[in-house]
Amino acid sequence: MKIRVNGVDQTLDDNVDPDMPLLWAIRDLLGLTGTKYGCGEALCGSCTVHLDGHAVRSCVTPVRRASGRSVVTIEGLSKDGNHPVQKAWLALRVPQCGFCQSGQIMSAAALLAARPRPTDDEIDTSMAGNLCRCGTYPRIRAAIRKAAGLPEDAT
Amino acid sequence: MTAPVRVTRRAFLVGLNLSLGGLALGVYPRLATADEPSGRAGPAPQPASEAHEDATKGLDPNVLVHIGDDGHTTIVCHRSEMGQGVRSSIPILIADELGATLERVVVLQADGDKKYGDQNTDGSSSIRRFYDDLRRAGAAARMMLISAAAKRWNVKPESCVARDHQVIHPPTQRALGFGELVPAASKLPVPAAKAITLRPESELVNVKKASLPLLDGPAIVTGTALFGADVKLPGQLIAVIARPPTVGGKVARYDAARALKIPGVRRVVEMPVPKAPWMFQPWGGLAIVADTTWAALKGRAALEVSWDPGSNEVADSATMRDEMLSSVRTAGTPLRSLGDADAALASAAKVIEAEYLVPHLAHITMEPPAAIAQVASGRAEVWAPTQNPQAARTEVARVLGIGEDKVTVHVTLLGGGFGRKSKADFVSEAAFLAREMGAPVRVQWTREDDLRHDYYNAVNAQRLRAGLDGRGAVIAWHHRTAFPPIKSTFVAGTTTPAIDDLQQGVLDLALSTPNVRAEACAATPRVRIGWYRSVYNIFHAFAVGSFIDELAVARGMDPRDAWLDMIGPARILGLQDLGIAKLSNYGEPLDRHPVDAGRLRRVVERVTEASRWSTRKQQGRTLGLAAHRSFVTYTAVVLSVVPDKQRVFRIDEAWISMDPGTVVNQDRVRSQMEGGVIMGISNALFGGVTLKQGAVQQSNFRDARIARIRDVPRKIHLDLVASGGPPCGVGEPPVPPVGAALANAVFALTGKRVRELPIAAAFRI
Amino acid sequence: MVGAMQRTLGVCAAIAVHACGGSSPPAPLPPLRPVAANELRAPADFASIADRTQRSRSLFLEASRVLMHPRCVNCHPAGDVPHQGMQMMLHDPPVVRGPEDAGVVGMECLTCHQDRNQPLTRVPGAPGWHLAPIEMAWVGKTAAYICNQIKDPARNGGKTLAQIVEHNAHDELVGWGWKPGADREPAPGTQAQFGAIVAAWVETGAACPEENKQ
Repeated sequence: MKIRVNGVDQTLDDNVDPDMPLLWAIRDLLGLTGTKYGCGEALCGSCTVHLDGHAVRSCVTPVRRASGRSVVTIEGLSKDGNHPVQKAWLALRVPQCGFCQSGQIMSAAALLAARPRPTDDEIDTSMAGNLCRCGTYPRIRAAIRKAAGLPEDAT
Repeated sequence: MTAPVRVTRRAFLVGLNLSLGGLALGVYPRLATADEPSGRAGPAPQPASEAHEDATKGLDPNVLVHIGDDGHTTIVCHRSEMGQGVRSSIPILIADELGATLERVVVLQADGDKKYGDQNTDGSSSIRRFYDDLRRAGAAARMMLISAAAKRWNVKPESCVARDHQVIHPPTQRALGFGELVPAASKLPVPAAKAITLRPESELVNVKKASLPLLDGPAIVTGTALFGADVKLPGQLIAVIARPPTVGGKVARYDAARALKIPGVRRVVEMPVPKAPWMFQPWGGLAIVADTTWAALKGRAALEVSWDPGSNEVADSATMRDEMLSSVRTAGTPLRSLGDADAALASAAKVIEAEYLVPHLAHITMEPPAAIAQVASGRAEVWAPTQNPQAARTEVARVLGIGEDKVTVHVTLLGGGFGRKSKADFVSEAAFLAREMGAPVRVQWTREDDLRHDYYNAVNAQRLRAGLDGRGAVIAWHHRTAFPPIKSTFVAGTTTPAIDDLQQGVLDLALSTPNVRAEACAATPRVRIGWYRSVYNIFHAFAVGSFIDELAVARGMDPRDAWLDMIGPARILGLQDLGIAKLSNYGEPLDRHPVDAGRLRRVVERVTEASRWSTRKQQGRTLGLAAHRSFVTYTAVVLSVVPDKQRVFRIDEAWISMDPGTVVNQDRVRSQMEGGVIMGISNALFGGVTLKQGAVQQSNFRDARIARIRDVPRKIHLDLVASGGPPCGVGEPPVPPVGAALANAVFALTGKRVRELPIAAAFRI
Repeated sequence: MVGAMQRTLGVCAAIAVHACGGSSPPAPLPPLRPVAANELRAPADFASIADRTQRSRSLFLEASRVLMHPRCVNCHPAGDVPHQGMQMMLHDPPVVRGPEDAGVVGMECLTCHQDRNQPLTRVPGAPGWHLAPIEMAWVGKTAAYICNQIKDPARNGGKTLAQIVEHNAHDELVGWGWKPGADREPAPGTQAQFGAIVAAWVETGAACPEENKQ
């Protein structure tokens, strides 16, 4: 099985279970640990990656679905952490513990790719699948607005 | 952008050799700048025991500070980072006291070692308890550098200052870099604690700034930060454990044949069976050890096992609820007594009474517990997201039957802690399995494991009664609270809260009422009880804050006026005024951190002013208010709720005023306030797990809900009250008042008084 | 609103065809073979109904036991949010319909749902997982309403009756209703039995139950 991960072609062993969630293939087989396990049932969003540009929950996505396709993880979102979302995240000091943040950032990046100037409602709707226990939501909203070039405060 | 304090991940991992070097020798491991070990992105972390011991000579006044002869400064963070920003706050506080330039400081995460003193990152104590000690650590180094410079210049040390990584003699405009002074300074005696003088606070230039970049921010947003499950060791295996559903349960029968047929599954290992008291022992069960996490998960699903549930099978949440309500309907152990509450109630013109219930709460850290261990040649080395690396070290040593000196515990970043990761059960599971397998083993908990095998915040029932006189004044206050205390996890058979448990919002409640009684009532523990962010304050603040609101309604008063009336005039309340024999006061002396009604009043006044309380029932919204003292900090919260078509109501705005005394790293304190309000919303709106036949019924976020982004107000207004004085707790105090503020706002909107959490259940939303 | 609708459906399932769906003429219909809640009757079970239109209506009411089962109706919401579970709670995590009935960016149906049920993850899946368009909303509707909607090419995706039969008998997303995975209760009967009932309904003239008899 061949998967392009962060721009690099990766070949998975023939005996890899095609039902293995992409999350575990990324973490355990490819050694990219920025994508997190939080629930295993697509309920928390910590494992969000881009599959051909679409945000997917890698914990429920069988690796076979990614076969022949392109996967981008947090490690590959940008060179040197310079994606506008990553920069806004740092500028507004969004993370607390940081565990959910790679998933949050991947969802936010997908949102802004499709909706460069999202409304507050669109932000809440598109980010609804990403849980944060520390409660960084207000700064997540503000950072998405900042990355979009909008005022940071809610309207 | 770059953080002013750099951290190298290599240092993070190998750095614990501080202990091998020893202070007196001034030997320190070289801080490598190699690639960060993030999976394939960098080399695998090197076990500390084999780490290079290239060392630089330097100045080591204590275990927290090292200055190399190149001026390169290393500051140890001996507390665990779980989102509260301690890895920025502590080193920058020390660096400021020292006079270091942040660009030349590297932060090193401490391993678990008693030489650091208390490392249990818990109780909102890192700054509260260690503010002066941490400054002394920097000041000692500063004084030694200044002494060396003064000697060289033949001037008085008092005439020198340390700043910008230099010692400067202003009268002659001479300056020497820290590095140049290290050889001489390191030969000087370390000043005695009493001889150490601190700078004026105004000179703490960085740590007092409105915001500081996040030390670990760049690593977090690029996915290279190392959490518990991210450490890789050569030849590692992954274990997932099938645990008995009830605490104290054990394996009755099992057949591993199907599990072992899953490709990648290596072995099924029987875990040790714990005995009460549970303490930090592994829960027991059967570990499926495999090459990959997925194989282990599939193996566990294929395992055939039946359980012997043990004595806790009898526990149902419904039964416990009835038992606790009976408990608070009869007299308990009186722990607070002022005047004569019985007589006052008997003579009252009106008696108001209410009962409140709060379920067991789970921590639900976003990172489920995980730890990796390797055991070889009689030594164990573990990497874990632990709040308490010393406890983890002790527990690993106990499980393996080796000395603590043979155990090294490295602390990774914690993907949330909230008290869960003070408990070492998951760390010793990894150590046990690493020995059994003769290979490094990572134990990975699933979300189900986390929800079902937690150390829960105590389930609770309370009964509050108040007597009103003919004019509506509150003349009596009678409070009973029943919950299985945390001590039950450590001393089997404990069922009744003790005086130190009731300090959290019962005994330290400032009341103007002349007749007060508070009693502790028994509740049988059926699960492992543990501390969870703000602990018993959650339910005490919920009940007291709701009851004051209920009294306001009964008295025909504005709730804000009722709060201020109940608190009474600004004053310090001593033990006698409170009617108590002692107040453990979160370990703080009462003269330094008294019960201060004035500070509680002030946050109520400020938060109601900010929220325009006088308009509290206008423009389709209603406000709810509550206030609370916890961890010697004073907090008041107002929440605004508006009607919602789909879900009855929605929280649209929040205000929080918090007075934590002197503040270090304001921005992180503010983020704790934001996060605390949101966790308080989760607790009140959705919180709680339930037991059926001793087993937790919830399994994942579908039935153990926490606030999602849409549940959170669009605006949270933060008012950080800069009262100065000794620093108080920050991490936990934002949480307790939120539940009552929400219930009170919802009452104002809907007329429905919710006395049992979670609120979502009461509205079926 | 959800609660009330859910109760109606519950009653329907419990007392089966006659009392709930009923049929138009005052003359009582011969009793149908009793079946368990999880079974479907076969077309032959309706042979005792002499009147073709009556028979057709009864066949549709039998089919509606599937159509109105939470497993099917959950993704035919009347609003923007699908439902889930036998209690027909609003879908959580919160998702919305989106412009193409497939969610919105970051929360697309395919962000989580796969082409089949996944082992251990509980997330249900089938090819082309999406919501029914709003004109095919069934939540809160009667069997008569649904019947007329299904027959209406303007509201059924431009399908002929033959295509409706084919769709119900063989579509894999429809078929998920009988193999929902995890511990979910399947729709009554089997897809083949359901397809046969729908085919028999079409063959008997595709008559719809009368609205006022619902």
